[in-house]
Amino acid sequence: MKLKSDILVIGGGMAGLVAGIIAAESGATTLLLRKGQSATAYSSGAIDIIGYLPEATEPFSAPSEGLAAIAGLYPLHPYGVVGYGDNVAPEEVVDTIIERVRDSVVWLKDRLEGTIASVVGDFQSNFSPISILGTTKPTCLVQTTMNPGDIHEREDSVLLFAGITGYPDFNPSSASKTYLEDRIAMGQPPHKVGFCMTKIMPFGKSFNISSIEIARHLDHKGSIETLAEQIDVQVKRIGATHVAIPPVLGIRHALKSKLELEKAIGAEVFELLGFPPSIPGLRLQLALEEVYTKAGGKLLAGHEAISSSRKGKTINSILARSPRREISIDTKAIILATGKYIGGGIAGNENGIRETVFDIMTVTGEYHSAKDIVPSRVTHRLEISPMGQQIQTCGLSIDPQFRPIREDGLEWAENVFAAGAVLAGYNYSVEKSGLGVALTSGYGAAMNAVDRIKGVA
Amino acid sequence: MNEDEAYEYVKSTLKKEMITPYHSDELTIVSSVSRCINCGLCINHCPVVAAIGVDRFSGPRSIAVELSRSPPEYWSTADKIYLCTGCGTCKEVCPKNVDIPEIVNLIRARIFEHRPDLVPKGFMLVNEIITEHGLAFEPWADKEEKEESRDMRLEHLGLPFIPDIVKEKADVLFYPGCQAEERAQEVREAAKVILDLFGVDFTLLNEFSCCSLPSRLMGNEIKARELAKRLKNKIKKLGVSKVVTTCAGCTSNLADLAERDDWGIPTYHLLEFLAEEIGYARLTQALKGKRLSESVHISVHDPCHLIRHTSRRIMDYAMDILALIPGVKVTASEAHDSCCGGGGMVSYHSKDVADAVVKENLIALEETGAERLVTPCPLCTAQIESNLFKSGSSIEVDDLTVFLAQKLIKE
Repeated sequence: MKLKSDILVIGGGMAGLVAGIIAAESGATTLLLRKGQSATAYSSGAIDIIGYLPEATEPFSAPSEGLAAIAGLYPLHPYGVVGYGDNVAPEEVVDTIIERVRDSVVWLKDRLEGTIASVVGDFQSNFSPISILGTTKPTCLVQTTMNPGDIHEREDSVLLFAGITGYPDFNPSSASKTYLEDRIAMGQPPHKVGFCMTKIMPFGKSFNISSIEIARHLDHKGSIETLAEQIDVQVKRIGATHVAIPPVLGIRHALKSKLELEKAIGAEVFELLGFPPSIPGLRLQLALEEVYTKAGGKLLAGHEAISSSRKGKTINSILARSPRREISIDTKAIILATGKYIGGGIAGNENGIRETVFDIMTVTGEYHSAKDIVPSRVTHRLEISPMGQQIQTCGLSIDPQFRPIREDGLEWAENVFAAGAVLAGYNYSVEKSGLGVALTSGYGAAMNAVDRIKGVA
Repeated sequence: MNEDEAYEYVKSTLKKEMITPYHSDELTIVSSVSRCINCGLCINHCPVVAAIGVDRFSGPRSIAVELSRSPPEYWSTADKIYLCTGCGTCKEVCPKNVDIPEIVNLIRARIFEHRPDLVPKGFMLVNEIITEHGLAFEPWADKEEKEESRDMRLEHLGLPFIPDIVKEKADVLFYPGCQAEERAQEVREAAKVILDLFGVDFTLLNEFSCCSLPSRLMGNEIKARELAKRLKNKIKKLGVSKVVTTCAGCTSNLADLAERDDWGIPTYHLLEFLAEEIGYARLTQALKGKRLSESVHISVHDPCHLIRHTSRRIMDYAMDILALIPGVKVTASEAHDSCCGGGGMVSYHSKDVADAVVKENLIALEETGAERLVTPCPLCTAQIESNLFKSGSSIEVDDLTVFLAQKLIKE
């Protein structure tokens, strides 16, 4: 089998799909290979830009604040790289970073508008959505269904956590305690929090129920009314102004369900951030895929890039394998967005840490070689620090065009760009920057790839 | 005791302990389980979970982390393991590509060998038919009646009859699969019409025998390997240079066997053969000036064994080929992660489950507004057709091979 495309994207998470959308919208023929789903499909659906600095305990109140700090302290952080370029003066670097990240956030918000994963929030400030554990975390954008509204601003706000009998992921009693303790310590509203259980029975049973079953069930006509009746009683009981439910409001019709619920019970309803793989993560994945396909991109699922052929300084073809076929793909530019340990772009074993598609040089968070880092040797207690686990920062080192570099500092290939978790130098779980870096680097890498093929043509 | 004797002795001990050693070609499947990170992403996509819930079918993650880790007591999984349709959605979405459908086959094989009392009774009749006839369906008792049925189908579809050819050293072996050989004879005939039209030097098997997939799916591994060997010998004896089939299940299974058993010849679905060997130029040429006056609005069902077990490219070929036919309007169905429900031999023992799985497809299909559904697999065709018929739908179902043959023949 043979295929041809101007731009080939390897990896179908946030970074790969954003890059694919940019490429397809530019008019380039775009093919995206995906061997399996990625960390984006797992995510809570919240799009973090930057929440914390490593070692810091206070979250950033706005992404711009965090980006300025990153630019100063970690110039080789993927966000730092965004600020470099031939036409950027040193004193403009910070502003350039902020501007480019803002551009990509505005762009993503626009593309997700009207999809099943439309988002609220903006680049000006971080806000603190609540998780199913009752904790909060700083993030930039959340899906519209997860918008907690004015709960933290209204002095008279009362929050009701509504659980579902037989759904083990969410314990509303414990979540409400955790959350209320936190609010009391901060001296901020809401001052009253309650919880209740509801019954949603996708298959006529109220035990052993999973998120996906509830979400599918609530997508069906009529099921939201039954839920509304149950919650309405509880809202009246404690005088709730807001109702928090686990992230299961639906796949296709979650927003409609939220609005219907609100109308029926007279309180604001929002979904909590959930454990992976959460339903909002699934919605985000599906929405991005739809935007990509509508832009004219071709998605080839179930295919893994296994080898490549080089012509001089460029990679001109990739061999991809499906379960029982092989396809040779000719291409002008490649965007490597294969993820880290979950996505499989970076793998570690007793022989060290390596990049899995091209075997490009890997580095640590301090930009030393990661060739000999053995993950199993860094699992002791000292490794769990506020700085984050060190293997989380390993990956590829890139030049200002987002091209992975070799030991000598030059690009590994002129037409190979990298984006997302495959990059080194940031720790998403400590920083709360995962989808933000994926978005920004996917956006930047694709812009460069598009420029390149237009230049070559 | 010499080494061979020692091995035989150990083997008999294993038998007593109800342990079946893995074949060396199964080791990659077994080791893929260790890659599972227990994330549960697969549960969100499993069509059986969507149809009947995790309480009845615990889902692919449970197969990877619980059911596969219960040796030698695999029998304890029997209430779940037979409900998997083997569609492969879990393997495709899995970031680690854990080979769940094949793990299911390994577990079923161990239950079949050590606890045949727990194998669904529905399998036993098929197993007997396969043992007796080397076919997944009871062959026609009366050859003439079979031919009459074939001729009636051809007449109804307006297709000419191309006599069977059996010869050595042909370029292509056309392998219709059990369903087209015994039941959906029109698919077998339509493929011959197409191959003949393009002047392909093809042959059929002298005596048709099953590709072994049904035996594998029900867990009769010994029979499956025997059938695979029988087929290899026949193909080798014919001396063909490639194998072409019209069945999705056969496509993936033949590709598997060709690699595992070193056939040394490529195997194709007819769609791949048309796209890669005949070429769109010749297809376009052949479609020119043919019976194309009527326009038709269709939707397409993607067989699991093509898209997830072989390659999604094959359905791209299908769409390309359909786009060459004037007057054909295609509307894609919104059924994601769908399966016709006919996979994994689930319908042989839990028809309610198979029917619940196909229901998702039927709803999405109605929404397309299409008047006809085409699919390049006679088994999907049969499963969807019977469910549509029962639901009182007016949508008709065609095997894609038949649909294409009708468009290619002269007025």
